[in-house]
Amino acid sequence: MTDRSADVLPVNQSLGGVTEQLAGIPLHFPARRRWLATMVFACALLLLLMVSIAALFTRGVGIWGINIPVNWAFAIHNYVWWLGIGHAGTLISAFLLLTGSEWRNSLNRFAETMTLFAVICAGIYPVLHLGRPWYLYWMFPYPATMGVWPQFRSPLEWDIWAVLTYLTVSLAFWYTGLIPDLAAARDRARSRGWQIFFGITALGWRGSAAHWSRWSQAYRLTAGLAVPLVVSVHSEVSLLFAAGQIPGWHSTIFPPYFVLGAAFSGFAVVSIIAIALRFWFGLENLVTDEHLDLLGKVLLATGLMTAYGYVFEVFDALYSGGPHEIQTLIDRIAGAYAWTYWGALVFNFIPLQALWWRRVRRCGSALLLISASVVVGMWLERYMILVTSLYRDFLVSSWGEFTPTFWDWSTYFGTIGLFLVPFLLAIRFIPMISIFETKELLHEEQEERHGG
Amino acid sequence: MTQIFAPAADTWLRLFLAGGLALLGGGLVGVIGFAHSAYMTSTDFRPQQPVPFSHKHHAGELGIDCRYCHSGVETGPQAGLPPTTTCMTCHSQIWTNAAMLEPVRQSLTQQKPIAWTRVAKLPDYVFFRHDIHVVKGVGCETCHGRIDTMPLTYRAKAFTMEFCIDCHRDPMPNLRPEESITAMGWRTPSDTQKQREAIAAHEGIRFGELTHCYVCHR
Amino acid sequence: MTRRVPPDSNSSQGPGLRQWSGIEELSGDPAFQAWVDAEYPAAAEFTPTARREFLKLMGASFALAGLTGCEKSPFVAALPYVDQPQDVSIGVPKNYATAVVLDGYAQPVIATTYSGRPTKLEGNPDHPVTQGRSDIFMQAAVLGLYDPDRAQGPTRRGEPVSWNDVADHIGALRAEWGRTQGEGLRLLTGPVTSPTLSRQLDALLKQFPKARIHTHEPVADGGRRNLTAAAYGQPLDVDYQLESCAVVVSFDDDLLGPGPDQVRRARSWSSARRRDGNGPGLRLHMAESVPSITGAMAGDRLVTEASRMPSLAQALASKAGVTGAAMPDLTPVEREWIDRAAAACRSAQGRALIVANAFGDVATASWVARTNEALAASSLLRFTTPLQSVANAGALADLVAEVTAGQVETLVVVDTNPVYSASGSLNFREGMQKIRSSLHLGLQRDETGELCEWQLPLTHALESWGDARAIDGTATIIQPVISPFYDVRTVHQVVAMMSGQLDPAAEAIVRETWRSRLPGDFETAWRQSLRDGFVRDTAAEAVLVRPDPAEIVPPFADDGLDIVFRPDPTVWDGQFANIGWLQELPKPLTTLTWGNVIAVSPALAKRIDVANGDHVKVTIRERSTVGPAWIAPGQADNTVALYLGYGRMRAGRVGDGIGYDAYAIRPVDQPWLTKGTLHKVGTAEVLAVTQLHHRMDGFDFVREVSVEHPALQPPPAQPSLYPARASSKNAWGMVIDLDSCIGCNACVVACTAENNVPVVGKDQVKIGREMHWLRIARYFTGEIEAPRSFFQPVPCMHCEDAPCEMGCPVDATTHSPEGVNQMVYNRCIGTRTCSSYCPYKVRRFNFYDYRNAPDSPEQAAHNPDVTLRSRGVMEKCTYCTQRIEAAHVAADKENRPLREGDVVTACQSACPTRAIVFGDINDPDSEVSRLRRDGRHYALLEEQGTRPRTTYLARWNDKRGDRQG
Repeated sequence: MTDRSADVLPVNQSLGGVTEQLAGIPLHFPARRRWLATMVFACALLLLLMVSIAALFTRGVGIWGINIPVNWAFAIHNYVWWLGIGHAGTLISAFLLLTGSEWRNSLNRFAETMTLFAVICAGIYPVLHLGRPWYLYWMFPYPATMGVWPQFRSPLEWDIWAVLTYLTVSLAFWYTGLIPDLAAARDRARSRGWQIFFGITALGWRGSAAHWSRWSQAYRLTAGLAVPLVVSVHSEVSLLFAAGQIPGWHSTIFPPYFVLGAAFSGFAVVSIIAIALRFWFGLENLVTDEHLDLLGKVLLATGLMTAYGYVFEVFDALYSGGPHEIQTLIDRIAGAYAWTYWGALVFNFIPLQALWWRRVRRCGSALLLISASVVVGMWLERYMILVTSLYRDFLVSSWGEFTPTFWDWSTYFGTIGLFLVPFLLAIRFIPMISIFETKELLHEEQEERHGG
Repeated sequence: MTQIFAPAADTWLRLFLAGGLALLGGGLVGVIGFAHSAYMTSTDFRPQQPVPFSHKHHAGELGIDCRYCHSGVETGPQAGLPPTTTCMTCHSQIWTNAAMLEPVRQSLTQQKPIAWTRVAKLPDYVFFRHDIHVVKGVGCETCHGRIDTMPLTYRAKAFTMEFCIDCHRDPMPNLRPEESITAMGWRTPSDTQKQREAIAAHEGIRFGELTHCYVCHR
Repeated sequence: MTRRVPPDSNSSQGPGLRQWSGIEELSGDPAFQAWVDAEYPAAAEFTPTARREFLKLMGASFALAGLTGCEKSPFVAALPYVDQPQDVSIGVPKNYATAVVLDGYAQPVIATTYSGRPTKLEGNPDHPVTQGRSDIFMQAAVLGLYDPDRAQGPTRRGEPVSWNDVADHIGALRAEWGRTQGEGLRLLTGPVTSPTLSRQLDALLKQFPKARIHTHEPVADGGRRNLTAAAYGQPLDVDYQLESCAVVVSFDDDLLGPGPDQVRRARSWSSARRRDGNGPGLRLHMAESVPSITGAMAGDRLVTEASRMPSLAQALASKAGVTGAAMPDLTPVEREWIDRAAAACRSAQGRALIVANAFGDVATASWVARTNEALAASSLLRFTTPLQSVANAGALADLVAEVTAGQVETLVVVDTNPVYSASGSLNFREGMQKIRSSLHLGLQRDETGELCEWQLPLTHALESWGDARAIDGTATIIQPVISPFYDVRTVHQVVAMMSGQLDPAAEAIVRETWRSRLPGDFETAWRQSLRDGFVRDTAAEAVLVRPDPAEIVPPFADDGLDIVFRPDPTVWDGQFANIGWLQELPKPLTTLTWGNVIAVSPALAKRIDVANGDHVKVTIRERSTVGPAWIAPGQADNTVALYLGYGRMRAGRVGDGIGYDAYAIRPVDQPWLTKGTLHKVGTAEVLAVTQLHHRMDGFDFVREVSVEHPALQPPPAQPSLYPARASSKNAWGMVIDLDSCIGCNACVVACTAENNVPVVGKDQVKIGREMHWLRIARYFTGEIEAPRSFFQPVPCMHCEDAPCEMGCPVDATTHSPEGVNQMVYNRCIGTRTCSSYCPYKVRRFNFYDYRNAPDSPEQAAHNPDVTLRSRGVMEKCTYCTQRIEAAHVAADKENRPLREGDVVTACQSACPTRAIVFGDINDPDSEVSRLRRDGRHYALLEEQGTRPRTTYLARWNDKRGDRQG
């Protein structure tokens, strides 16, 4: 482990330097103009979301393109997509923390931040897609005057819990990891305001040995909690579909298929952000080509596993011999929405193959493009899974069509704003790379050198 | 380097957090309590009526049977409010020019209905039938309370789904013999359970079938 | 359900009492209308949808029913009667026997009313001809009553006037007629069977001998009377004795199709079809040019041009040995079909009936008449003298001639709409200018009413005292089930005014007619007739006729396409254009809603390269119209079908400006079949169809059995991990006989009426959001030129293991101990999971708020026992649970178990062929249990393990049809 991590960070840099560099980003922010421009764009999107939601709540879900039979489309589809993206963060931090792969240390912070906001974006969809959102609270078990409870057999009921738990734990995990750095930032803060802000958020951290030991216990404990959640959440989401009898949904491959797909898209987004950040803030010394290389490998691996899911779906349909399953398969490959199927295949897996070459993996721009294509590909995959299964299910007489309306799109792009705005704020106000963990890693490496 | 915070800051922070959590929990309990409150279930208030009609006087003191005015109660879904003419059967003889009965007389002369304010009203997605309840041995009192003690009528029981479903789950405690349907303050005799079972058997109550949704919602 | 009311409650005052027992009473009240208009003057101008939206935004919170979210104060006003009438018990429905009218014929109904508000019409089970069955027009009539666009008071040139002004004007006219003996007075009526109206008109003519009456029947019986006149030497009505038939050969005759005679024929057809359990009791051979529901049911269907019918009829005639019938030259396919048909007729030995199209030509009719005689089938035909006969009435064309000659001073149009439905070539609109004084009597201020000087609004049948004859001549005395809520009069009152009575009482006129005709004590007989809903022994006498041996001249042969005119299956001749239920009703073979099409054959479509929805131009003798094309599988290559009833301009907010007007190019001399040309225009539109895909694609949704293999494979027993659900005493189930279902849609409209199913409008239907709880799936198999067609009604299956139930997070859809899959609107939060999981996609969702505007009169048509669904909730077939619960209450009050027939669903009671059977499957003797044991019984998608309670009986495949399929 260590011998691999030995060359993750360039050793020829001082520990203090690292702290200055990272804590400095929020304190005296570089690249203000670029940040502002992005922020304006993000806010515009957020505004779009607000308008869409207003329209939705005043007029009803009818403003979307949904109908019978396709009565689930963009809302659920983007919900799954966002939640998928929200996976990598916890996976990277928690899972790799427990396996002790220190190279994660430069990535976990913003990966976790990304997770947090992606899950929030996902979280609003189950509310929006309700016909009568104002009765959302009926989904929670509470002693109602009606004397009735939610139905615990329903995948949607599990879903609420799965997502909320995941959100809470990710939040806890993210914040726990943040505390020591907030303290560091506090100590370097010049202005009173910053001192108080970081002071409170650091919860009075003084870095005593006791603090450290308790902290690391808590941190590893939450990590231990988070890892199984990563699996549970998306398995659960997949059951939204697998629990139904609709051809193309009713399959046991779904849980692993969804989890892997989620990790796949998640890592793609992590790489995008990693590359963007290191380019913005000149962090080449901390987010090194080595990191990109590793990310590329993980992306390739998860991608191939997702591909296996595709293969198995086809096999399932054929092996089942069910005329409706085969009908759906044909519709996917050659039907009105075949473009989503082929689109998903192409965007997900063709550019991905380039990652077999080390040079491509280590080249930022190349990895960025590939990741982008994966994100698009996964979006198409969710579209495919929903629409191509629903628009033609069992009875020919009930077959229909689906065309997204303006409001479908505006709501979707709006959530991108909902993601970007808080994320940009986070970049602005908190250290985007874990200072102490990086230092820890750097220190270890230097020890290695002197010792060896 | 100067300290930013006083030594007590930590304690304050902890207190703050604890307080926040307590507030959250308390609020939740509060909201649920409020939903059950007399205010929300409208059991707290006696609406103003065009004529200050007193059930206490008519049903209690004079002992007029409920069915004299609410004639639909055995035949139809709605017990029905008495037509003006019903009031006038007596009040054309007695209190013929009492001021408080002016609206009644006007209603008759102008052929305009008296605009009573409804007290016992269910949401319109609840399809309640008086007749079946009365026929099956559920007394007026069970839902409308001691109407014979109400100078101004109010809602004695909270008409929540809980209230209905409890009885639909186990009607036994609320069953009474036919002759006591309209009786107020009726006490179950000693051998309660046996008698109730007898009634239930006699009425052929379809136990277990009364709780499914379509019984009340369609 | 049909509890009769004591006769005294049908007294002259009528049951429509004006006391109000709740705000819904007000909705039809002019005062209430006035209030709304005063509150929101702007709203009056709006379309219903816009108006609804507007009122919502204005926070018009006087919603009459439905899911009102969380209302804090339940303390709303309650209005008791001032003086409660004896026979009114609030919330308890009352039933009255009366009739609604289609093309002059009575459609006997039992009207269900809630505190004086008719909400639902059922067929009258005691009526000798309909026997409780019904059709779409009968079911939808109740909405016509509450049509917000009805004329609400008399107008002169659009300005409101009083009935006194009307009386004065008529008085003035009468004075003039008195001088001229009615010279220049012309009356134009629609189809009339009413004894009272005939009596009145005769009286009028006696007063003014020089006056003339003309009739205008855009569709009515098609050309039947002319055809019989040609074939038998006198105009006749004819009744096919289908019960006694073993074989029917139809030359383009859509005998099961919509129209006044549909109920009677469908009923007798299905009973013949079911005659013996081990095979189809009646086999249908059909040659047709335009696919019809009859053709869909035919075992042996030949696709050929309408203009080929005479030759085919002649061929069959010569096969049957009719004298003078030379064998014409036929195509091989035609010859084969004729051979099969002839063989079938021979083997049927006198139980074979040949029928010709009422919209067809004289030659075919004559050949058919003779063939029937040759086949000794005369016992299968019952001829009667025409019911629709106003004494020596002239045709519309003659009237127009007189008008153009300036011989018409005064025209009185009685309940018909010639300005819209007269053939374009007559230029009736222009003619009207020449008339000095014109009066229009009608329900609406329609195209004609607008053009006439005076528009005198009439009562709807449900508000009227009147009478009419059913298709077999049995008279019904029409009694009002609600008193008119607009300032209107019955047609008899107005005609009486013209013959000199001042403000006559509606009932008196009708009594007058029957005083002399009812046997025995009049009052008794009168009440008896009102209670029964018909007058006993008034059916028309059969007359014995023989075919007229005159020379048969084949219709002129002409090149060019056959252009065939047909009444629209749902809005008929256009009179129902403003009834939303019928506009949104999918037309049987196309599933098209909200419009009409120009139907072309697949071959023709390929030739001129058009797809569904492409605009095409049809030209007939220099007149042309443009409409969307529809490729009709199984339509004859050179036949183009135009559908009447659309393109209306003054139908109302619902019916205006939809579709194209086929009357504009309809020739007077050839109203049903003519020649013309067709061109592609280049533009196109999206048609609002409810089923996008029609091929069965090799699935076995509709199964078939044959005489050789009369039973289906019983499904393998399906093991389940779950313990069987305990059932309560009753377990509801439904069996639908696909061999009897003719796809007529009566069940769909009945369901709409019974369950307050909303009308969502064209745009919503286009994007797949129609709300019908019961859809009639329509499939075809075989090649597109000559496919076999199938109908399959698909309501909720009420699965015993329902996928929808486990999906709902809030338990809004659950399973009742009686096996009904329950949908609780007020618990639904609209996750739509149930619909996603439903393998049958029978659930419907309120994507918007589809309810009527809170102030619209249609509100009064709502069934108060069914919740109005708000925006964002799922809904679906409930097996008419309100009827089940009502039956339970009734039985429980009497402390007895439910009996067979206590619960009848709306679709079941409407079905003209009794294809839908509902009942208790726990009771081994119930009809439904019996059918579930039948060899033809099967469940849809049974391999899915949902164990549906709604199941099907396979269709009989008359083998002889196979080569066609």
